[in-house]
Amino acid sequence: MNHIPMRMNAPAIRPQKMTRRAMAKQQTREKVLQAARDLFIERGYEGATIRDIARAAGMSTGAVFASFADKNELFDAILNDDFAALLEPMQDAVVGAATAREALVGMFGAAYRAHAHQLPLILAALAASWTRTPEAERLRRESMRPIRALIMEILERGVERGELAPRFDLRLISEMVWDLFLAGYRPAAFDGASVENQTDKLADRIDVVLTAVKA
Amino acid sequence: MGVRETQKLETRRRVLEAARDLFNEIGYEETTIRAVAERAGVSVGSVFTTFASKADILSQVMDDRVEALYSELEHVARHMRGSVLDRLCSLFSIHYDFECRRVRLFLAHIAASFSPSLEATTIPYGRNQRFRGMIIDMLHEGQVKGEVRADADLDLILDTLMGAYAWNYRLAATGSADHVVMTGIMERQITLIFHGLMPR
Repeated sequence: MNHIPMRMNAPAIRPQKMTRRAMAKQQTREKVLQAARDLFIERGYEGATIRDIARAAGMSTGAVFASFADKNELFDAILNDDFAALLEPMQDAVVGAATAREALVGMFGAAYRAHAHQLPLILAALAASWTRTPEAERLRRESMRPIRALIMEILERGVERGELAPRFDLRLISEMVWDLFLAGYRPAAFDGASVENQTDKLADRIDVVLTAVKA
Repeated sequence: MGVRETQKLETRRRVLEAARDLFNEIGYEETTIRAVAERAGVSVGSVFTTFASKADILSQVMDDRVEALYSELEHVARHMRGSVLDRLCSLFSIHYDFECRRVRLFLAHIAASFSPSLEATTIPYGRNQRFRGMIIDMLHEGQVKGEVRADADLDLILDTLMGAYAWNYRLAATGSADHVVMTGIMERQITLIFHGLMPR
């Protein structure tokens, strides 16, 4: 397994050479994504229409539809980018952590911090995640894969260090920890919990799970 | 009860039943108030005199559903046998079985619980106090019987269990599991958590 620093090099997304036309298309796409992101953060998913997004991006609704089939697809693209961008701060938070607990709390705390200013977007994402098409779900899982891998690495290292007992199902634990992390967004959005408060609560819940598997 | 009151209750009952079926059959987003009124055999106007919004209807559909379940469960829970761990597993199993009978309806309820326009009367899934009360009672009994450490923080255990319970429904959302699979996973999760709760 990898040791510090835990970093995975993202494959280059942009191809080497682009025709002028492909470049224009890419630019349109990015403009739409940025406008949509701003509007979703401001108004939530339901509150932003394709028409609003097109206007904010300074183009016609037809031009938006040339890049994205519908609002759902646009939304998914933003979220997948978002989680991809989270990986780096999460990895940074893990570097130097002395225990599995510290690493997990660090990486999730970094995510809560990064998302604190865009809670409406995250809430809309969580709402949408319950009624996904199989294809959208597959893409979403794909974009989360490096983050899930990071959790597994942390747990495996905990076992190597003799901190966690080797006889437990690490995948089950990693799924539980991930779900507890996601469950922590609702209090932030509805009860106005601060990032610190949100992170402390999660740390307590992670303790409940890790206590069970302590070596 | 006057004629008017009776009629109002009847409208309410019919609307809730029609909505429950439509939400489950074609989905919550896709269901219009007009369609609900049509199936219930009432006017669109009378739906709006009884309910504030579609979200309000969904919330009351869910409320009626669990109230009926809990009246039965609270009775059954007292007579359950076995260790606290086993009984907790049964309690969650009953929930998965019940909610998966109309799983699309339940997923809509979960999705709606993340909506910022949540009604004050809406109880998001996992926050039902009767459900939480039953679990706390079992955990407390576990302490009395020496199955759960005396210094365990029961509210924290409850929240952790509820988090696991609720998020396991994502397996239903992706169609990759039925209630039997979810119950199996929950059992492994509860067993794991209980491993850390044993008196040392």
